[in-house]
Amino acid sequence: MVDSDKAASGSQARTSRESSHNKAPVLAAESLGIVRSGRQVLKDVTFRIAPGEIHALLGGNGAGKSTTLLTFLGFLTPASGGVQVQGRDVGKNLNEVRRAIAYLPEAASLYGHLNAYENLGYFLALAGTDLDREALDEALDRVALQPGARGMRMQTYSKGMRQKVAIALAILRDTPILLLDEPTSGLDPVAIDDFNRLVRDLADTGRTILLVTHDVYGACHVADRIDLLQNGELVGAFDRPPGMDRIDTEAVHEAFAGRAAA
Amino acid sequence: MNGVFPIAREELRLWLRSRLAFSALLVFALLLTATSVLTALRMSAEQQQRTGQQALAEETFLSQPDRHPHRMVHYGHYVFRVPPPLSVVDPGVDAVTGQSMFLEGHRQNTAMFADAGAGANLGGFDDLTAALVYQLFVPLLLIAMGHGLIVREREENTLAPLLAQNVTGVMLCLGKWIALAGVALVLLLPLFVMTALAAARGESLLTSAGLIGIYALYSLVWCSLILLVSALVRHRGLGLGILALFWLGAVLIVPRTAVESASTVVPAEGKLETDLRMQAELRAVGDGHNAGAPQFMRLRANLLAQYDVERVEDLPVNFRGVVAEVNEADVTDVLNKYAGERMALEARQARFAESFGWLSPVVAVSAGSRALSGTDLATHHRFLRKAEEVRFDFVQGLNRVHVEQLDYTIDINRSIDTASERLTRMSAENWNVLDEFSFEAAPASERLTRAAPALTMLSAWFLLLTAAVVFASRRIRP
Repeated sequence: MVDSDKAASGSQARTSRESSHNKAPVLAAESLGIVRSGRQVLKDVTFRIAPGEIHALLGGNGAGKSTTLLTFLGFLTPASGGVQVQGRDVGKNLNEVRRAIAYLPEAASLYGHLNAYENLGYFLALAGTDLDREALDEALDRVALQPGARGMRMQTYSKGMRQKVAIALAILRDTPILLLDEPTSGLDPVAIDDFNRLVRDLADTGRTILLVTHDVYGACHVADRIDLLQNGELVGAFDRPPGMDRIDTEAVHEAFAGRAAA
Repeated sequence: MNGVFPIAREELRLWLRSRLAFSALLVFALLLTATSVLTALRMSAEQQQRTGQQALAEETFLSQPDRHPHRMVHYGHYVFRVPPPLSVVDPGVDAVTGQSMFLEGHRQNTAMFADAGAGANLGGFDDLTAALVYQLFVPLLLIAMGHGLIVREREENTLAPLLAQNVTGVMLCLGKWIALAGVALVLLLPLFVMTALAAARGESLLTSAGLIGIYALYSLVWCSLILLVSALVRHRGLGLGILALFWLGAVLIVPRTAVESASTVVPAEGKLETDLRMQAELRAVGDGHNAGAPQFMRLRANLLAQYDVERVEDLPVNFRGVVAEVNEADVTDVLNKYAGERMALEARQARFAESFGWLSPVVAVSAGSRALSGTDLATHHRFLRKAEEVRFDFVQGLNRVHVEQLDYTIDINRSIDTASERLTRMSAENWNVLDEFSFEAAPASERLTRAAPALTMLSAWFLLLTAAVVFASRRIRP
């Protein structure tokens, strides 16, 4: 078994999150194996995410990052092992699990024929949440979407603007868990910094965040812990050292690039 | 299930905001309304025209002067099949089976068609009936609008976030189905108006409701099919292709195959062969115009014995009239036998063709629609039988006048003696033997019974497809 704990040996010390790691994990993958179209896309993956932790899965294209998120949402059934959300087996508690999770897909998938308010209203209605315009504006303010754009159809939005609305939706869902798939893809550097701050704020209010990305720099700045995923296997882990505001980018980059080259 | 109606509402909003979908909907609504109005106007005009022609034909017959009753037998009479009120929706076989018939003694003529001018005014556009638009083109609109119901969400990556909001596949499909079914039911509004008008003109509420019901069921079959395909495929183009192929098969290939195979599986004897067989039997029955023919010798002997006289001149009845009367009955038996065989065979062919409704919902709905509208083959056969009843009654009524009121000796001398000829002219009051002909389609219960197989087939289509949708919806994944 390649466990993230084992993979962390030789990496940075992980004392900073010791206390939270001792708590019952909010998200847990245990020896997870996923087979899609006859191909093993995840193999023996194990990690646990404590409450309030920002956990990044870092890997290249096809490493199995998005597959991991879809498994936590119950869209994929493990071929071996399993995943748990708040201590519940995902496959057996799909309704409770999905109620607890806000999911931000990779392509900021919202409806082009609707404006930002209508998109948020629709998805929130599906989730059983009814919020007024003021609450929507508050969330859109937090993601810094220009007020003038909010009433325009999203087919006129840039990728970054769509991403902001999707993030606002994740905020508005007000769930204890956020799953973010390449959340900064398409954002400009300023927007990425804003987003990282926002994610940190959300974690500080107790939300547990699992994000998948291939952005080494971004992951090191925002995550408490990074698991390196390659060809469906965990091959390394990095924790944010105590007293530091980020994980050592060079170490992660070296491991990521070295693994990729190998 | 809270998410179902937001999903349906959102789909409707998408269509309203999509210029293409909205334009297509608008064009179809206009086409449907225009076709419905034109069909209604055409069939109303046909109804009025044929009712008028029927009255005129009766008036013409009754206004004939005093004359020999057998001349009136050959003068004949016209009957018209007045289209039933629901023919404004589905004229059915009206245009292909003939709408009027000339009735005369010793013959069963075939139905004739209306004059060409009635159908030529609109350059053939009047052939496009409301029923055809509902059967053929409404599914196309539903395909155009609904083929992307689920697969669009998949292609545009909105499926995962949708399902992540705790929306199940069943809820998603139900919401989408409600949206498409809503459009389909709105498209039934012109039909609702037409059936209401038909009901106001005396059509049964049961058949009117049945007609709306069968088209609603048919539309829902397409909604379920479109949703199923959209849920199963990975690409919109593939879904559209599959649905277009199904439409072609259902609309063109299966109906054509049904007709072709019906004539193969239930073969009909050629008209020439049938006519030859029938003529042989009619020759055996004898010619009623020739009272001296050997076929009537026994009748002659029986009558003489019955009235205890030596000569036919001494009979208290006109022997030529009796021969005409008896011969008419015998000829009619032969004619009815052949007509019955032909109608039974046509009905068997129609039933066989209609059984292809198990393969195509278009075949099922068209059969049910014609049966409920009272414009199917069975209604045409009913017209032929009613017309024959009228023919036989007035011919035999005139023969009875011949038997009872016309002296035999005067009758046989009418060709050589002007005075006798004058005496053979019976009073025109006798022409009142002609009954008024007012054709109506079969009662509602009978038409509903005839539509039952089509309703069963469409129900089976609907249930199977909906079950398949439920099955597929449980397996929807991003």
